[in-house]
Amino acid sequence: EDDDDLDGFNAWERTYADERSWESLQEDESGLLRPIDNKAIYHAQYRRRLRTTARIQKGLIRYLYIVIDLSRAAAEMDIRPSRMFVVARHVEAFIREFFDQNPLSQIALVTIKDGVANMLTDLGGSPESHIKALMGKLECSGESSLQNALELVHGYLNQIPSYGHREVLILYSALSTCDPGDIMETIQKCKKSKIRCSVIGLSAEMFICKHLCQETGGLYSVAMDEAHLKELILEHAPPPPAIAEYAIANLIKMGFPQRAAEASISICSCHKEAKVGAGYTCPRCKARVCELPTDCCICGLTLVSSPHLARSYHHLFPIAPFDEVSVSLTNMHNKFPKNCFGCQQSLLATGNKPGPCVSCRTCRQYFCLDCDIYIHESLHNCPGCDSIR
Amino acid sequence: MIFQLEDVRVYFPYDNIYPEQYSYMLELKRALDAKGHCLLEMPTGTGKTIALLSLITSYRLSKPESPVKLIYCTRTVHEMEKTLAELKLLYSYQVQHLGAAAKILAIGLSSRKNLCVNPRVLASENRDSVDAACRKRTANWIRATAAENPNVELCDYFESYEKAASAAILPPGVYTLQDLRAFGKEKGWCPYFLARHVVQFANVIVYSYQYLLDPKVAGIISKELQRESVVVFDEAHNIDNVCIEALSVSVRRQTLEGATRNLNRIKQEIDRFKATDAGRLRAEYNRLVEGLAQRGNLPISDTWLANPALPDDILKEAVPGNIRRAEHFVHVLRRLVQYLRGRLETENVEKEGPVGFVASLNGQAGIDQKTLKFCYDRLHSLMLTLEITDTDEFLHIQTICDFATLVGTYTRGFSIIIEPFDERMPHIPDPVLQLSCHDASLAIKPVFDRFQSVVITSGTLSPIDLYPRLLNFHPVVSRSFKMSLTRDCICPMVLTRGSDQLPVSTKFDMRSDPGVVRNYGKLLVEMVSVVPDGIVCFFVSYSYMDGIIANWNETGILKEIMQHKLVFIETQDVVETTLALDNYRRACDCGRGAVFFSVARGKVAEGIDFDRHYGRLVIMFGVPFQYTLSKILLARLEYLRDTFQIKEGDFLTFDALRQAAQCVGRVIRSKADYGMMIFADKRHVLSILFFFLSTSIRFTSFTYIIFFLMWEQFLRKMAQPYDKGGNSGRRTLLSQEDLEKMGDDGMQDIMHY
Repeated sequence: EDDDDLDGFNAWERTYADERSWESLQEDESGLLRPIDNKAIYHAQYRRRLRTTARIQKGLIRYLYIVIDLSRAAAEMDIRPSRMFVVARHVEAFIREFFDQNPLSQIALVTIKDGVANMLTDLGGSPESHIKALMGKLECSGESSLQNALELVHGYLNQIPSYGHREVLILYSALSTCDPGDIMETIQKCKKSKIRCSVIGLSAEMFICKHLCQETGGLYSVAMDEAHLKELILEHAPPPPAIAEYAIANLIKMGFPQRAAEASISICSCHKEAKVGAGYTCPRCKARVCELPTDCCICGLTLVSSPHLARSYHHLFPIAPFDEVSVSLTNMHNKFPKNCFGCQQSLLATGNKPGPCVSCRTCRQYFCLDCDIYIHESLHNCPGCDSIR
Repeated sequence: MIFQLEDVRVYFPYDNIYPEQYSYMLELKRALDAKGHCLLEMPTGTGKTIALLSLITSYRLSKPESPVKLIYCTRTVHEMEKTLAELKLLYSYQVQHLGAAAKILAIGLSSRKNLCVNPRVLASENRDSVDAACRKRTANWIRATAAENPNVELCDYFESYEKAASAAILPPGVYTLQDLRAFGKEKGWCPYFLARHVVQFANVIVYSYQYLLDPKVAGIISKELQRESVVVFDEAHNIDNVCIEALSVSVRRQTLEGATRNLNRIKQEIDRFKATDAGRLRAEYNRLVEGLAQRGNLPISDTWLANPALPDDILKEAVPGNIRRAEHFVHVLRRLVQYLRGRLETENVEKEGPVGFVASLNGQAGIDQKTLKFCYDRLHSLMLTLEITDTDEFLHIQTICDFATLVGTYTRGFSIIIEPFDERMPHIPDPVLQLSCHDASLAIKPVFDRFQSVVITSGTLSPIDLYPRLLNFHPVVSRSFKMSLTRDCICPMVLTRGSDQLPVSTKFDMRSDPGVVRNYGKLLVEMVSVVPDGIVCFFVSYSYMDGIIANWNETGILKEIMQHKLVFIETQDVVETTLALDNYRRACDCGRGAVFFSVARGKVAEGIDFDRHYGRLVIMFGVPFQYTLSKILLARLEYLRDTFQIKEGDFLTFDALRQAAQCVGRVIRSKADYGMMIFADKRHVLSILFFFLSTSIRFTSFTYIIFFLMWEQFLRKMAQPYDKGGNSGRRTLLSQEDLEKMGDDGMQDIMHY
């Protein structure tokens, strides 16, 4: 009970305290103050995430509309400097992460302001252009309208070819929605067009958002604080499981353009200006584009490079999670390796006791916790297994 | 799950059970073993109903040698349906595990309005006219004439039910009202009469309080129930008021005028009968000489009225000579009506005990107490004799006779109050004569005497020792249980000062203070901007609500509120309120958000749930004390003090808290739900409320700013995915193994969780 009380008070005091240095301290058995071992906590969180990765069909080609609520409520200062800026900052990080994980997918940005939804950027694969457009438009006013946003997005997403996964991610600051018509109909429309709508709320749970997510199979979450918000947004970066009715094998026409010769001068089809070198040539119409992946502006062919495909591949065949090695077990065998196979750092914790580590099921090599995260989230290959080959 | 509770094998239709449900069952079982009455309090949302049903039915199964019958009383038809739906689930579970041995017959019983399947009868608009329309087609004499005259309309359903006679039985099962109607339609039997007939054999009966408490109805419906029954009053926190209402009568000018019309009509009928069929009147006279006890001579199906709580010895007495003849009786009634009219002419408020009233009535109109006592039965007999079917026309004279019988029967616990006008509108003469009952134990006494165990249960019964005193009975068990929660899903707070640090209250001398009104408005404006979906506000009275809304409208506060949420208001008109509620729900559903202004003792506060997103926040503006200048309340307080030694202040506080708890309790209807409660009043009475509101709630009366920070945190915390089992820390669900593992001593731990 007492602990509980303490917690509750901290909850409101927390908002006052910018630095909570005392919280990152912990008393050990001999009464000394030590910094809390955050690593173990993070690792536990990460493993929880990993457990859900079974081998299932996933939507690799995603068309994601990010809807950002810029109504009056976005100016609230409960997360400093304001909800709007914090959201923008994390959306920026998200866009980069998203393209990193889903090179074949595209994003568009929509804002809600004064009860109207506006298209900020069209679907595209270039992170920079989205981020630039978003940062230039950060001002908020008026009411928010969920229905208007959904209608707008629905209009665009409905035309997407069926192999693409239609998704909407709504970052909702307001606590109400002022709609011109029956939002329930719009939700049913989205459900019918297989648009997966997810909402991240910034202040409290709203029934209509929950309903929307339930109906369309999306995720609904409410951010507790800034760190939590970041976590929630990034949760949307890995591809979601494919919708069952859509999970039919589909052949998609794609082009693998060649990099243009270094010194050649040609007119770029995307920016409509002459450029020297560093570009790609569409294999079908020979038009020149600046960045991959994209759709060719002239013939509409999807242009990708092979690393893009390869990078998407790991979502389908993730490496099996590593087993956690319990300390007592290693003591018993007494052939516990001293160093991590990945980074060669010592695996021993202070006092020469064996520290926490994990091992791969196939190659039986030991890794430290940092390497574990790195291998599963960035590398997508097990160094141990690869070196055997 | 199936588990052993002492010597009873309990069949519980869910895989897990809350610890408080387990202890609830344990206490209930001990009360049943002791064959005594009990008083159990457990917060709403903890599955009280299913715990109760499952224990009592299992108890019956475990002790086949002494089968108990369950009589379950609910307040509304809606609750009745909910209870039956749960029973259905339980029943199918028991049948699945026990086979045919578990078969029971459970029915819901309601008025004709809810059970009738005849479209012609149902076309009538209210309950009384449905009753009358039914009688017009089913009364004995009508059916007798129909045999000769084919033009007389009868009810086919009733006819075929009569034809089936004793063959008309229900197969075992659980029947909701809906099921009964469907069954009736299919077989062509009248569901209402079928249900009435089946009541004697059914193992479980679910019906309204009135069927047991209102002596007029109880005499017909419930008289044949055996002693070995368990009577349950659910949501019984207002049971004393129901008892009192059952025995209170109010007479207005319209009543008297109506009564006079009725008497004229009766007179005409008598004259007509005298001319055509004098034998009938003669026969009635003879019957009355033999005494009222012989009423049984009349066909059972026509006993549609009965005497209000007459002591048994009266039933055996003969009707006094001066009202045996029909025309004499009409004269007596005319004199009575005349006398009452004279009393209503008064210009002052008058208060009198029944004894004094009868004495003056005897002096001025020559009607003595004994005559009065028989009025109700005499009228009933007369109307049967005169073959009057449109009973809805005769409600006025029935009211008068009801009044007369009550005045004649009871000498204590009542008072007669005559008010020439409404306190709040002294310019408009609206005289009313009220016979108000002060003693709740009078109406419920027969129930306690008659049945083996009476269970009174509700979400809020605190202080639990007051109910036995009010109802004058001795419970063998009286306990209240706390709710175990996986998270702190309620966030109650007392706001004693407004944003400008001035105290807020609805205390009489402060309520019209513009500062208080403004502070209340400010509070609401700030709340609408941080709380999603629905907010419910309770005011202490209609007049106060009207005043405060008018003020907010002038000062622009209402407009500010409307920027965030739509505003809906409860009115005294039922249709209007229903419409407002409907639209309120729609606004909450579609995400627009809405505020509902309601009144603490109104319809909405008593029966409508604002669960989930329909009520994320409830604000109680002020403390809902009763209108303390009301003459009736004062008389009751005086009586309570003299008879039961309950102090006025104690009772008023108890009553106000009970109302407040009821209002805020509308928001949380299950453990997965969450909501906030704000009590905006400086009076410290409210802090007592926190002891009632289950669980170990952290409550502090913070300063204004901290309020909002806490709310925002609270709302965010509650929006996180709900962990049903409470795996992280607090366990609130017990599985079968858990139950088996723990002995009786283990139980203690859980209860002190």
